[in-house]
Amino acid sequence: MLRMIQLAAPRWANRLGSICTAIVVLSALVPMDAMAVPAFARQTGQNCVACHAGGQFPELTPYGRMFKMTGYTIGARTIPLSVMAVASYASVANTSKSDDPSADFQKNGSPILATGSLFIAGKATENIGAFVQASYDNYATQDAGGTFQGHFAADNMDVRYADRIVDVNRDFVFGASLNNSPSVSDPWNTAAAWMQYVPVPSPTSYQFVDGAAPYPGYGSGGNIAGITAYGFWNRTLYAELGTYRTANGIFSFMSFNIDAASRTMLSGSNNPYWRLAVSHEWGAQNIMVGTSGMIAHVYDVGSDISNPNNLGRFRNTGIDSQYQYLLDPHTITAQFAYMRQVQSYSANTIAGGSPYYLADGVTPVVPVNSSDTLNVLRAKLSYIYQAEYGGSLSFFNSTGTANTLNQTSGYDSNGQITSTDPLGTGITSTRVNGSLSGNPATRGFTYEAFWMPVQYIRVGAQYTTYSKYNGATDNYDGFGRNARDNNTLFIYVWAVR
Amino acid sequence: MKRSQLLMAVTVCIIGAGCSSIERSRNLSDPAIRGAVLAEQVCSICHGVDGNPVSPAFPRLAGQQAIYLTSQLKNFRAHTRSDPAGFEYMWGLSHHLTDDQIAGIADYYSKQTARRPNMAFADARLLADGKEIFEKGVPEQDVIACVSCHGPTAQGIQAFPRLAYQSANYIVRQLNIFQHTQGRPGTPMEFISHPLTGANKDAVAAYLQAFPE
Repeated sequence: MLRMIQLAAPRWANRLGSICTAIVVLSALVPMDAMAVPAFARQTGQNCVACHAGGQFPELTPYGRMFKMTGYTIGARTIPLSVMAVASYASVANTSKSDDPSADFQKNGSPILATGSLFIAGKATENIGAFVQASYDNYATQDAGGTFQGHFAADNMDVRYADRIVDVNRDFVFGASLNNSPSVSDPWNTAAAWMQYVPVPSPTSYQFVDGAAPYPGYGSGGNIAGITAYGFWNRTLYAELGTYRTANGIFSFMSFNIDAASRTMLSGSNNPYWRLAVSHEWGAQNIMVGTSGMIAHVYDVGSDISNPNNLGRFRNTGIDSQYQYLLDPHTITAQFAYMRQVQSYSANTIAGGSPYYLADGVTPVVPVNSSDTLNVLRAKLSYIYQAEYGGSLSFFNSTGTANTLNQTSGYDSNGQITSTDPLGTGITSTRVNGSLSGNPATRGFTYEAFWMPVQYIRVGAQYTTYSKYNGATDNYDGFGRNARDNNTLFIYVWAVR
Repeated sequence: MKRSQLLMAVTVCIIGAGCSSIERSRNLSDPAIRGAVLAEQVCSICHGVDGNPVSPAFPRLAGQQAIYLTSQLKNFRAHTRSDPAGFEYMWGLSHHLTDDQIAGIADYYSKQTARRPNMAFADARLLADGKEIFEKGVPEQDVIACVSCHGPTAQGIQAFPRLAYQSANYIVRQLNIFQHTQGRPGTPMEFISHPLTGANKDAVAAYLQAFPE
């Protein structure tokens, strides 16, 4: 959901972000009646549980999915503004195996007010509605003195036109979405843009929380501009097809306040996205089985886009499934998502080679692959009682090809482990993030318990354990750090208004 | 926002407004939208296009008495019916409805045909107990027979709702509300349901949901 953005921000944007955050904090302290919830709820007049499974935002119920697919147009037009904020605490199991713990584990063990979002969400016309999110990252950058600086920038955006032809013989919802992230338009929460939902704060102590652990995703990332057309036939068959391009020119609002150096730059408009899903509802249960994919031609971040040697390609293919049982007081959800990504590197990336040697200190490591495969699997089971108390267990496993390109630790010409850059090729490393193997294999579980004292606040605790990280169980960085050293406790308070 | 983006937004909204149809509107605050349109476009998502919902969480509206549907929608609108699902789902949806729209929605659903849910898992003993309560009440507990107000085929009579094929889950929840809360005031069910035991409620709800011929 929330992108971590590392760049400087205009002062007014930072101030706006601070104000938004303050509003959320204050609003959480002010008594509100049951109707005083975010913009969509004000529009329909309904409680969160109508659209969100067990009140567990953002996971949608069948009604919530129809609300989204019909273009957020159900209800009465109202002031389409909402705010959201997350306060959090993270604690990493081992902070000693680090060259610089204060840099590798910023804010470890300290509660922080991490992020806030401003939403413009609601119906504009009979057929047009929007979900537009911009987020403030309180810890986006650090100045020379180590003081954190905030930043406000575009987040998820979905503006859509929709219609529904329905009678006792047929039900056909169709529409088009202008959005800035592949699958953000998707109504199911096993879609890449939605399965990871608790925003991940920027300080480095949060790099191992569940939201930062492997989730199926699209190589292109977000803050790009896409248009997709979709249809949902008899609440059974869903199909969506679209294409993406760089969010510049008339679409630059979709990458608002993200500077050119870190913005995703796509080649042309031939970056297709597709989605096919079959849904079935019976009794209090429903299930979806689907597949999706995208081919994205992406320039290396911050590179010269006039040079074709900087152009790489991602090919994503995924399958996903979601099961829900929704009958008061019980909400049960099972989710499964698997994404296979083949990344073909740009010519310039491949030419960069590897700076490392084999353990003998004499033989250079083999040249990098011209492409890599990454397979990411996520499975999650959750239960909520009375839309108030909940828990979940999720499993993640990423595997893929090893590539010296991804090594950030290795042997130098003396056969010594190094995190520096022996050949001066520009690859730098920190000890904790290092990868001796160049292999992406990471595996673990996340255990979560949460409580929703009122429908617009969720208090949760996640504990994420790793049995493998960056390709190894032990000594993955070449300096003795083990996967389990990254086990992390993450506590959050998430409020919306 | 740049001028070109503003122009695009305005253009999209104008096109969108131009393409909209009052016969396919989901606008709950426009009195010009017919009740039947709102029933198809909005109510149908939970209650079914033909009033036969998929989920037992939502009541079956097909074939329901129009007078009963009208009164309940007005109760939601006036917040005089405040059972949890009522205010969570229905207060907001009914907030702006006009009397004409409510009458239109009630008329739409009352003319649909109620379908019996799948009886594959019905418990024969439970059904027999429920039939007894429906037809004869529970005399030793001073519970009168349902049939006396809701009709011999549980089809309902004007302000007394149809119960045949109604979701058992919904019926039990309503009986609990009648018994233990003030969420649905002004109905004789507050008194009638008071002596019912949990087993009584489960049995009569199962029977009404199945309502075997």
